[in-house]
Amino acid sequence: MSTHVENKSAEPVTVKSLNTDNPRWCAGCGDYGILMGIKRFMVDRQLQPHLTVHVSGIGCSGRAPNYINTYGVHSIHGRPITVALGLALARPDLDIFIESGDGDALSIGGNHLVHGINKNFNCVFLLFDNELYALTKSQTSPTTRKGHPTNTQPSGTYLDPLNPLTLVLGAGASFVASTADWMPDHLASTIAAAFQHKGFSFVHISQRCPHYDPNAFDYKTSSWFSFLKHEKGITPDKRLAEKTEVVEHDPTSLEGAFKYASSERRYFGLFYQNSAKACYDDILHKLRDSAEKKPRAKILDRFQI
Amino acid sequence: MSVEKKKISRFELLMDAGFGAQKAGDILITAFAKMGKYVYIEPMIPAEISPPPRTRPALSGVIIRLADFDITNIGNDTDIILASHEIVLDRRIDDEETNVNCRVLLDMGDKPANEESYEKVCKRLTKMGISTYPFEITAESKALIQSLSNSGQNMYYLGMLSSIYNMPKEIVIAEINKTFGKKLKEEILSKNIKIYENGYDYAKANILFSIEVAGVPSQTEKILIDGNTSLSMGIIDAGIKLFSGYPITPASSIMHTLAKVFPSYGGLVHQAEDEIAAIGTAIGSYFGGVPAITCTSGPGLSLKQEFIGYATAAEIPLIVIDAQRSGPSTGMPTKTEQSDLPAVLFGNHGDNTKVILSVANVIDCFYAPQMARYLTEKLRVPVMLMSDFQTANSYKVIDKPKVTEMNNVDDIQDFVLERFHMSRLPANIEMVRDNQAAPGDLQGMRRVTGLNSDHLGQINYFSKTSQRAHAIRNSKIHEVRKALTKPEMFGPEQGNILIVGWGSSRGAIEEAINSCRAQGIPASGIHFKIVYPFPLMIKEIFSKFKKVVTVELAYGDEFKLSPLAMLLRAETLIDVQPMIAKATGRPLRPRIIMEQVKELLS
Ligand code: SF4
Repeated sequence: MSTHVENKSAEPVTVKSLNTDNPRWCAGCGDYGILMGIKRFMVDRQLQPHLTVHVSGIGCSGRAPNYINTYGVHSIHGRPITVALGLALARPDLDIFIESGDGDALSIGGNHLVHGINKNFNCVFLLFDNELYALTKSQTSPTTRKGHPTNTQPSGTYLDPLNPLTLVLGAGASFVASTADWMPDHLASTIAAAFQHKGFSFVHISQRCPHYDPNAFDYKTSSWFSFLKHEKGITPDKRLAEKTEVVEHDPTSLEGAFKYASSERRYFGLFYQNSAKACYDDILHKLRDSAEKKPRAKILDRFQI
Repeated sequence: MSVEKKKISRFELLMDAGFGAQKAGDILITAFAKMGKYVYIEPMIPAEISPPPRTRPALSGVIIRLADFDITNIGNDTDIILASHEIVLDRRIDDEETNVNCRVLLDMGDKPANEESYEKVCKRLTKMGISTYPFEITAESKALIQSLSNSGQNMYYLGMLSSIYNMPKEIVIAEINKTFGKKLKEEILSKNIKIYENGYDYAKANILFSIEVAGVPSQTEKILIDGNTSLSMGIIDAGIKLFSGYPITPASSIMHTLAKVFPSYGGLVHQAEDEIAAIGTAIGSYFGGVPAITCTSGPGLSLKQEFIGYATAAEIPLIVIDAQRSGPSTGMPTKTEQSDLPAVLFGNHGDNTKVILSVANVIDCFYAPQMARYLTEKLRVPVMLMSDFQTANSYKVIDKPKVTEMNNVDDIQDFVLERFHMSRLPANIEMVRDNQAAPGDLQGMRRVTGLNSDHLGQINYFSKTSQRAHAIRNSKIHEVRKALTKPEMFGPEQGNILIVGWGSSRGAIEEAINSCRAQGIPASGIHFKIVYPFPLMIKEIFSKFKKVVTVELAYGDEFKLSPLAMLLRAETLIDVQPMIAKATGRPLRPRIIMEQVKELLS
């Protein structure tokens, strides 16, 4: 996603200028890390807050726009993509970010995710994946690991989790990356790469929910995951990369992307990027801009008898 | 050969779907209009695309009402039916809309292969007192039709009907040329015209009656347009820039029309992945400060409800067109009804605050989008624009409406407000949130949410803040209530009986009241275009009548109040009763209204 700023604020953008009132997440929640990653990226890029819109759905992730001093739409459950598309069509001058969760994007809003990807309209899509429904008090979500007990499946979640990465790759996503809330540098670089890409940039973020599932991610060690690295990719987290495997992967290879995405092991980095995929918003704008203009005054003339 | 002079006449052309009955109807009414006659046309469209020919569901056709004065509805009964075979005829007779003197011209071409069936239907007609005029397409024309791979039959019928209605051949041929000239090859076109002429000549020689409805070609510019096309043009005239929809009957044709022309007027047409996505995208656009509209029918309305409530809470302008069809559930997609009123008014969870605008005719369709924009941008509450299958698909010849090229809603013209019986809203309307800036405003950064918010736009769960937000949202609706002027009335403003209706029932009510009064039956009528809120003076208006009754195309019976009656009773505490509350899928008929009035008054 690239920006073209028209009216610019004289004031520099700082983390402080991006703050609103205090977030209402639990202490230790991974959402704080993601929020900071977004703000750090905005500061790095000096992204104009008045030309930025954060759009979210419902859930703990859905609260994010309320805590960033830009424009924001905290919409309804599962549907932020639809609202974001309206903004992208109406206001191509804006930079659009979508904050969604595993329940929001993969369950109730699954249809819109597939079609947002297919439309490939220009936005950064951040999936806050804490692997359960949190705000509604611990129910099984599409990504809850099998056997994990929740309030709706107390004897342990019945099914294998849905794999968001192979899902979006299969749907034809033009940009697929993965990161985690506890890797600030990697998170900010991932958002930057997603923003740089023109189209629907899908970013999967492993997110800790210490309140309902403190053991989901061992964020202190790194031996359980690997980083993907490439000159066209995202630089692995320096500290964590030292103690784990770093794999060279060319993000233009869809086959490679599927291989890592479908692996039992977790990979962080850029899986896939295809800069040639057409963008729906561009198509509609071109259709309008290239149409022969006609005066509204004569709109009824062709019905004359 | 006798020529019967008539002030008004109604006829029908019934065929199998896919054989061009509607095309023939369009050509004929344009020719009528050129001769200065007034026309109103209602297509009959099957819910399926191309049901097997010679089956009851295949019925496709047109009802055309023709008069020497302006007509506002499709009227009562049919004088003449031309049917391509006995099955579509039999199906249509079931609707019981034939005049006692109805004459049926029945194509006997299929009879040899279907003797029994033809005989049964003909017997049925005789029993009903309907006179049948059997005919067959001449051998020469049959050969021509065959050479056109079985098309052109409609041209033969068109020829017969033009002859029966005493139309000059050349005028209709000119319209055929205009309709097909660019689309058909010369040879095919001339064959079609030949078939038309054969039909015409056949009727002249063999059908020994004809009907003449007078007409004076007028000097004013006239257009022929249907409800959905008029709405589409109105959307452009209103300065709306994004249309976001999902295919559904009967709303879809608005999207089809705009898809062809909107880009030339700076607009975008977005076909969403579902009904919910369609409304979400309209809301996104309006949050960005760009006027947008979404439109739906039937089941789509149910799907959109959550977002309608969201727009209310988030104070984002929103216009939803609901082209009503018969329900519940899938119901009858190509039949008309007015039963969405409660769902539109009360459909989303929690307190409902919205304005409901309805259209009575094709001219209203043209101006309603401006009204909707004016209301939703001034108030930042959803505006529901209600049409129905009948209005969406019926054509009428009208004086060309004035195009206003609206950009800013404050520039809305007085005559548009007057058309919807409303005066201008106050300049400042109180909002829940003080700041209503759109992205791009350097000072206005803000977040909206469906959670309860305070005046700073912040999430707030305090009791007082919730009560305040509710009161402000409702006060917006009260501002409309106060700005509403007296609705349109027919007949004296006091008396024994007042007929109440809304939306597409206007024409039938007006005509019924006129007929009543012509016969010395004292009745009055009132019609609402803004159906919610109601103007403050309705109780006073109603209290001047001994009886107040509704006519609506929605179900009601002795235990169940129909939607409009229920609402009016709640608003006025007056004993409003449904007089006609039917869900037959067929438009209201002025004569039935009159008969009911007579019965109630006796
Ligand atoms: S419930 Fe979990 S995801 Fe939600 S705020 Fe608390 S820790 Fe974060």
